[in-house]
Amino acid sequence: MASHGVARASGPRTEEQRELDLDKIDRYRTLENQVRQKATDQSFGEETFQLTSKLLRINPEYYTVWNVRRRCLISGLLSGPLPGSSPSKALPSSSATDTPTTSSDASLASSLTRTQQPHDSQTIGHNGTTPEPWAGDLDTIKSELAFTIPLLMEFPKCYWIWQYRLWVLDQAVERLPVSASRRIWEEELGLVSKMLHRDTRNFHAWGYRRHVVTKLESSTLNGSSMTEPEFAYTTSKINADLSNFSAWHSRSQLIPRLLNERKADQAARKDFLERELNLVREGLNVGPEDQSLWFYHQYLIANILETPGYQTIAPDLTDEERKSYVESEIVEIKDLLEDYEDIKWIYEALLEYTLALDKLTKATPSSQHDLSSWLGKLRTLDPMRAGRWSDMEKQWSQA
Amino acid sequence: MSPTGQLSGLPILAIDSHVRYIQSLDTKKDELDYWLTEHLRLNGVYWGLTALHLLGRPDALPRQETIDFVLSCQHDNGGFGAAPGHDAHMLSTVSAVQILAMVDGFDDLETKGKGKQQVGTYIANLQNRDTGTFSGDEWGEEDTRFLYGALNALSLLGLLSLADVDKAVSYVVSCTNHDGGYGVRPGAESHSGQIFTCVAALAIAQRLDLVDKEKLGRWLSERQVPCGGLNGRPEKKEDVCYSWWVLSSLKIIDLVHWIDREALIRFILSCQDEESGGISDRPNDRVDVWHTCFGVAGLSLLGYPNMETVDPVYCMPKPVIERILG
Ligand SMILES: [Zn+2]
Repeated sequence: MASHGVARASGPRTEEQRELDLDKIDRYRTLENQVRQKATDQSFGEETFQLTSKLLRINPEYYTVWNVRRRCLISGLLSGPLPGSSPSKALPSSSATDTPTTSSDASLASSLTRTQQPHDSQTIGHNGTTPEPWAGDLDTIKSELAFTIPLLMEFPKCYWIWQYRLWVLDQAVERLPVSASRRIWEEELGLVSKMLHRDTRNFHAWGYRRHVVTKLESSTLNGSSMTEPEFAYTTSKINADLSNFSAWHSRSQLIPRLLNERKADQAARKDFLERELNLVREGLNVGPEDQSLWFYHQYLIANILETPGYQTIAPDLTDEERKSYVESEIVEIKDLLEDYEDIKWIYEALLEYTLALDKLTKATPSSQHDLSSWLGKLRTLDPMRAGRWSDMEKQWSQA
Repeated sequence: MSPTGQLSGLPILAIDSHVRYIQSLDTKKDELDYWLTEHLRLNGVYWGLTALHLLGRPDALPRQETIDFVLSCQHDNGGFGAAPGHDAHMLSTVSAVQILAMVDGFDDLETKGKGKQQVGTYIANLQNRDTGTFSGDEWGEEDTRFLYGALNALSLLGLLSLADVDKAVSYVVSCTNHDGGYGVRPGAESHSGQIFTCVAALAIAQRLDLVDKEKLGRWLSERQVPCGGLNGRPEKKEDVCYSWWVLSSLKIIDLVHWIDREALIRFILSCQDEESGGISDRPNDRVDVWHTCFGVAGLSLLGYPNMETVDPVYCMPKPVIERILG
């Protein structure tokens, strides 16, 4: 219904292919009808649960079936929240979930536990014989997380799988002691790192990572700030690939917290700013056509020059200091022209920063000659955005 | 219906093929994909119907059958599932409202369905009253896509007052990034699809004053790549669907002239299957109704001749929006 990167078929199917498809459809629909019948009968036991596994492996986009699976878990498989834990926000009060498990295949919890691997040592009680009361839930949660991994590897952009995993992880918070729940969330961070290693720009994985980190930092899981290791993570991702816009973005999000947590004073903040400017400039020296780097450079310059809300790195710079930072960046960018005269980003930066500097110093506009010649270059090198260059010209010719 | 005038020399939009392609979608029951995509059925009807309207053929799908199908997806709580037997979800509920709006079917919703008020209540109950954002269903996933969908459908139903619009607006603002774009949640990187949902939501709430148009326009205009198509994020490939989200966002902030209009028209037309109809993500890929809808909507927005005008905020025919919102 929304396919990406699949080549257009060259001709119609052969009759043989059609027969094969009809057979597949028949088997798929039989399975689907079984699940639907179970859901209609409010039968959320083991048999239904196993059917959802089969169906979701074929079609992980089928959100209703993920919901049936959730209902199976909360109406039998999971034993219930720990005594004293807060009432679950994750348990909706739909009619389905209110149904007691009186169906023929009820008591999924006990039947499934029989098929589980022996409990690992951590779930055995202190006397070494009786399992903890939450041991079954731990096994179920682990087995649900294991179930979705091959699906995620095959369909890394499927929203529903990511969402289901988060729901399962929330069940861990609801139903397990903090130490056990924390271990599960820590393993999750390992998984996200693996996903981001496979695809460094996976949008879902980056968002998911932020979510997992926030949870690990929360008091619910006895957490504390992970800003430093996460900042280091972005550094390693950027070192591996300068064009990783996602990593640069994540870095910019972490900086305000990082500096606050370091209790950075004015000198430390200036030092930090200079290091970041150097980092991105080193990148620009070898890849001035890389827009990820320029967006990050713009972020740093905005921090120096622009709206107070953006000045999160070194908010107490004097106007003189601001001016001198930007001037020296302009000089560095001009130097780039010696090696790269046909990169439009350079001219764009020169124009933007020069105009912004004029605004700051309320000086008479800088050499009209420079501005016009950069603009001329932009028009030649980047005719697609001609309308933007014209608007830009209007802006400074009015100023 | 051949394009003439200022766009001479362009390939021709194969209107008849596209109409036939969309009409044929519900006859493909002998293809596995038809069954594997049932969780998108109602959305698919919205995409197909929107394309037909914009192609100037609003009657190409049978009206009463369409209404009956939509109503057969409704649950007692007012929400709609993607097809009969599928759970209610924000995304299919929004599609249902949009379809009913296009076929002028709100009366049927009142007489044969659960009524506007019940639909509005279902949607409004999905708002997180602490943060202002919306979840997709009872299981709690939150995303600015759902926030936009909620404002879209509630405004079409005339029930925007059921939601806390001010809170929703503050939430959108909290998703703003330093590059001027918006992410799926606060802190998430800018993404064209999410930018569209956030900017369009602000448009519905009449709070476009909160957008940094200059910065956002800069980021959006850089999505156009040399082939004329637009991508969703820096260093990604061009795609017809992302082209629509970038283009409609630029339109909402009045900066379409910051990209090359004719190059984009050419790119979209190069993705159509002239013979069998339909539009794909990139040239020579497999067509689908999703890219057909957004490709056609893009052409309409760019002023391709002989098409119905699209509303950039709702991605629906402009006359329909004018009829409903006045
Ligand atoms: Zn696409």
